[in-house]
Amino acid sequence: MTTQPKRIAIANGGGFVPGLNAVVTGAARAAQELGWELVGIRDGFDGLLHPDRYPAGGLVPLSAPLVEHLSGTAGPVLGAGARLDPFHVRTVTADNSVEETDRSDALLQALRKEAFNAVIAIVDTHALNVVFKLSRKGLRAVCVPKSAENQIAATHLSFGFNSVLSFAVDMLDRARQAAEAVGKIGVVEVLGEHAGWLALQAGTAVCADAILIPEIPYDLAKVAEKLRKKPQAGRPYGLVVVAEGAAPTAGQLATLPVNPVRASLSPGATGHEGGQVIDPSGQVAATVASQLQRLTDQETYPLTLGALVKAGAPTAVDRQLGLAYGAAAVRALQEGQAGVLIAFQPPELKFVPLVEAINKIRTVPGDSVFIQAARSLGISLGD
Amino acid sequence: MTTQPPTGMVLNIQHFCTHDGPGIRTNVFLKFCSLRCKWCSNPESIHPKSELAYNPSKCIGTKECGLCLKACPESAIFTVDPDVKVRINWDLCTNCGKCVPACPPQALSLFGHEMTVEEVLDAVEQDGTFYRESGGGITVSGGECLLQPDFTAALLAGAHERGINTAIETAGNVPWAFMEKVLPHVDTVLHDHKLTDPVRHKKWTGVDNARILANFKKAYETFPEKTFIARTPLIPGVNDDEEHIRSVLAFIRPHKNVVDYELLPYFRFGESKYGFLGRVYELADFQPPTPESLARLRAIIDEAFGRTGSQQPEPE
Repeated sequence: MTTQPKRIAIANGGGFVPGLNAVVTGAARAAQELGWELVGIRDGFDGLLHPDRYPAGGLVPLSAPLVEHLSGTAGPVLGAGARLDPFHVRTVTADNSVEETDRSDALLQALRKEAFNAVIAIVDTHALNVVFKLSRKGLRAVCVPKSAENQIAATHLSFGFNSVLSFAVDMLDRARQAAEAVGKIGVVEVLGEHAGWLALQAGTAVCADAILIPEIPYDLAKVAEKLRKKPQAGRPYGLVVVAEGAAPTAGQLATLPVNPVRASLSPGATGHEGGQVIDPSGQVAATVASQLQRLTDQETYPLTLGALVKAGAPTAVDRQLGLAYGAAAVRALQEGQAGVLIAFQPPELKFVPLVEAINKIRTVPGDSVFIQAARSLGISLGD
Repeated sequence: MTTQPPTGMVLNIQHFCTHDGPGIRTNVFLKFCSLRCKWCSNPESIHPKSELAYNPSKCIGTKECGLCLKACPESAIFTVDPDVKVRINWDLCTNCGKCVPACPPQALSLFGHEMTVEEVLDAVEQDGTFYRESGGGITVSGGECLLQPDFTAALLAGAHERGINTAIETAGNVPWAFMEKVLPHVDTVLHDHKLTDPVRHKKWTGVDNARILANFKKAYETFPEKTFIARTPLIPGVNDDEEHIRSVLAFIRPHKNVVDYELLPYFRFGESKYGFLGRVYELADFQPPTPESLARLRAIIDEAFGRTGSQQPEPE
């Protein structure tokens, strides 16, 4: 018989997206129903690894009154910092050197010391890998998928995506109105380094003139051909939506003129904390805008939505989804599950082993209904 | 009893350098650094061990190859439809390097190789003609070359035996014993003064500068016969203020063996370190300093050194 946990921790890895507090609420309420205690860890695992940094303590007891009105809010109840990776913790040694040390054993020890039987980890793709490694070292963990790009492959829908999509649509509408007012072509970049769901779905929703996504290499001559027809039709403006990972077809000028040495390195090697990671944000918009201006002889302007769309309160969908994910994580633990990701595979929430969830990215398939819809609407996909 | 000659973790040997010491020089970049400067232009030198690098443009894809997938013991290499090129799961990669020999097109490679003193010196001496004619030599850089003190000392001593002029680039954040071991074999010490204020130094580099300043002062006094050149990588919005320049001057000017103070405009790094790689474009948040601010700060230095005009080249 499996021993059921009585005291569980919840931690967030990889930053804020709308719906985070709904997951916390869902888990807390489900735990309370079972008579279990749910405790939040501040700032990823920092609250446990560096309790000295928190005058009020590194842990947040998630009592019933605290979570009563939490599910629809945007404030970071688990803290704004979200580095979940205990394998590369930057420390200053006794001899004044900076180095990255593996504190995973210290973390597991701290969890035992606090008498946590299990951890619910809210994860993006990076944090998913981290929790996978921790689970191989014996951590009893259940993961909840979080992705502004909806790129976690095991689940049909990560929480946060629906809110991000709604905000992106709202901002694209405004960008188009602004483009119309000044008679220019707006080139708006949205999140999506590996998967183009956000650009495709938001761009289709606002009937953009063109949508460029990582899955479909683009030829800007074809986009320009479409845009050139608009002034003739009495509409001398345009809206192009690009995902930050969109790239041209082979042989065309690369979108990202990055240093090849740095680009080939691990983000860990170059140091997230050091600010030495290549931040591609804004580069695609700038490149596509300048090249389209050359090709169309119409003025263009680049605009980057970036992380802006990850802020704010969740939509109804993400509130429901977050609550359901949080509650399902507790149910998984109740059923004796560990080392699993909660996956929404309609109509069910399933428990997918972490080993099957890693190393996969949910990209847009060529026969996606969203691609078909965009083409039917006359939207150029750059091919 | 014989002792093994020390080996070093070498990142790169770069020929025909003209910015780091007198004449035409060969720069030997070592891995390992004890700082984490936010503007670091060669982060591949930070960690002490070899690290995997992946150049997707060279990958021929899993339809024709895919050998690395089988070679990786950590399941850290994977593919994503519809892309046939492999991807690296950097969180799972342990930099073991087993995928490197399995990759025919050399898309996978390792940054950092263990080399002996003789191997490095043989590579350096290929440029002997240029040294003799230009007054150049070898400059050992990094990373922080003083964090491999036995190797760096042996390398520079070996260079001296071959009649090669020696220089090092150091940020000085090492135990004094390391500096004391290496400096006897150095002709010119290029040393960084990144920030004066200890709190700001910690904010931008990860540690305060108390040990660094103590080391430099002790070095000036312990090795009066050596030539020291102070340098500041000039990062606008971080250390491009007169106060910093004047405080560095106040620190170095009492010591006659500190013969110059150079300002290195931020963008110059990309040019000198990565130019040989073809495309150079650093996507950092820092902007290069303007020619005006550079000229103003250099004028302060020229005045302190009693020079009438700038002795340093203008930025291109």
